[in-house]
Amino acid sequence: MNVLIIEDEKSLAEEVVIYLSSAHYLCETAFTGREASEKISVNLYDFVLLDLGLPDYEGLDLLKEAKKQNHEAAFIIITARGALEDKIKGLDLGADDYLPKPFALPELLSRMNAIARRKFGVSTNTLSAGRFQIDMFARTVSCEGQAVSLTKKEFDLLLYLAINKNKVMTRMQLYEHIWGNELDDNYDSNFIDVHMKNLRKKLSQHAAVDWLETVRGVGYRTNL
Amino acid sequence: MKLQAKLALFSAISKLIFVVIFLLSMPFVLERINLINTDNDLIEKREKFIDMIEDLGVDGLRQEQERAFGSYNILKEEYISFEKTDIDEYWNFIEVTERMLEGEVISYRVLNYTFYVDGQMYLLEIGKSLSSIRQTERNIQWLAMILMSFFVALTMILDLSYVRYLLNPFQRIVEKKLKQAPDSENFNYELTDTSTEDFRLLDLTINDMMYRMQSVLRKEREITSNVSHELLTPVSILQGKLENLLNDPKISGENMEKITEALKTLGRLKSIVNSLLLIARIENDQYLKHDEVHITELTKEVAGELQEQFEAAGIIVEMSLENDACFVLGGNKSLIFTMLLNIIGNALKHTPKGEKVKITLRTEQNKRVLSIHNTGVFIKEQEIREIFERFKSFASESKQGHGLGLAIAKSIADFHGIGLLVKSSIEEGTIFELTFL
Repeated sequence: MNVLIIEDEKSLAEEVVIYLSSAHYLCETAFTGREASEKISVNLYDFVLLDLGLPDYEGLDLLKEAKKQNHEAAFIIITARGALEDKIKGLDLGADDYLPKPFALPELLSRMNAIARRKFGVSTNTLSAGRFQIDMFARTVSCEGQAVSLTKKEFDLLLYLAINKNKVMTRMQLYEHIWGNELDDNYDSNFIDVHMKNLRKKLSQHAAVDWLETVRGVGYRTNL
Repeated sequence: MKLQAKLALFSAISKLIFVVIFLLSMPFVLERINLINTDNDLIEKREKFIDMIEDLGVDGLRQEQERAFGSYNILKEEYISFEKTDIDEYWNFIEVTERMLEGEVISYRVLNYTFYVDGQMYLLEIGKSLSSIRQTERNIQWLAMILMSFFVALTMILDLSYVRYLLNPFQRIVEKKLKQAPDSENFNYELTDTSTEDFRLLDLTINDMMYRMQSVLRKEREITSNVSHELLTPVSILQGKLENLLNDPKISGENMEKITEALKTLGRLKSIVNSLLLIARIENDQYLKHDEVHITELTKEVAGELQEQFEAAGIIVEMSLENDACFVLGGNKSLIFTMLLNIIGNALKHTPKGEKVKITLRTEQNKRVLSIHNTGVFIKEQEIREIFERFKSFASESKQGHGLGLAIAKSIADFHGIGLLVKSSIEEGTIFELTFL
């Protein structure tokens, strides 16, 4: 899928490109509002990641303009402003999601995946992980037709790992995905281990889970 | 006591003292004045009599008296007597004596005067009854009292209304400025209309102080907010770079751990920046309060969210929430959620293994009180006072926190007008109490 990353901070845009490219997205960047405006009018994109804080362009105006030109695209607003008003306005103008800076790259990928599912009705609603099938719509996991019963958090963890496949995921990233940033003061990332242990136990009753690695001192990684 | 009441009281008391002194001294003064007047009167009459004797001679006077004699008038108020006497000295004095008149004893003020006419000594007595003098005295006294009371009442009314009029601007300054001072955002700078310079000065000074305070507060918020914002983008870049680095196949396991440590540190920085921004936004009123928040439900939700962590930490949670579906608070749901999460999370963090956290919602004097009570934790008085200050963390070394969780909870509570209070004792443990109005 084609992604346009509109972000005036070049080094941030580069990192997004690296991460999304490794997940097989085709990325283009625009560092100014003018450049973005030109690219939008010429090309068709599936995703537009839009930083609202552009020096030469009012981000929300660009969103309006882009929507007109490229109404099929999904828009994700990325901003450091974080004001509630911006969020509401952005979503009102038809943005599909809103990601405040600083965000984790796996989180961005996970959101894009969710939008793709919702918006484009991506043909494959299921992801496979080893011999397991993850149904993203029904939010169920099965192993060769047999249902695997997981808690909501366990399912979310598994899906997050499967979407960011073959990526090293730190405990903190997993923790933030499950509990959000809310709990930052009481943050205890080792707690993730409890859930991962349970997840592994439940999965291994059906099939081998050797594709789910523990990365020492870091976190977890799928090997698919 | 209010200034106005004090002034009125002072005016009343001072007038009362004057009235009492006046009434007590009036009989003596009046008596003196009356006596002097009477004596002057008697002397005047004596002069008149002597003039008559000089004109008519003693015999002539006698003849005159024969025709219209009346030494005592019927009412016995005054008398005059003139007779030969054997007294061989000059008398000229005034005294009070009692005279028997027709079987009645009457006190008289009497002028005694002796003089020679044709070699014969005569005694002249002119008297005025004292009862008639006293009667006048009483009359004057009554009149004085009535007039006095009237004037006292009149001046008091005048005093009171003037004091009230005078202090009216002061009253308005108190109402409008001093009582509204805690709500510094909505402070009313309008000057109170007054011609009293002192009040004008007071008004201007309060305005000036408030203005300076507000601008300091505003500046502080702006700095916090701007610095935090400026930090978000660099943190974002660093995070992206580290996350990508972690997936670089050339990185060794050891270095991956180092990158993870760096990410964790960055995570702490991120959470400090986000927390400061959150506080700044709350204090800048950037949140809406349009949600209907069911406190009971929300508390259950938060406790559920933390349930697994409580279990993992070996802490027993006891919930006793008054089942009251009507208890709905107008506010910002996600903020109140954060507040409860931070307070209950704080209890989770500080309660030792095997101890309890009791979450109770009850009604106390028509107010809902949610208390989070953890046993086995004691916070010193000094620390309680600083517990909601930013970056004050009394956490043990092993449990890291940036000390903003409770500061956030406090600003959310303030934002919603929820009372937040901490009590702690060695026996009972620590109680966080949220009072909903």
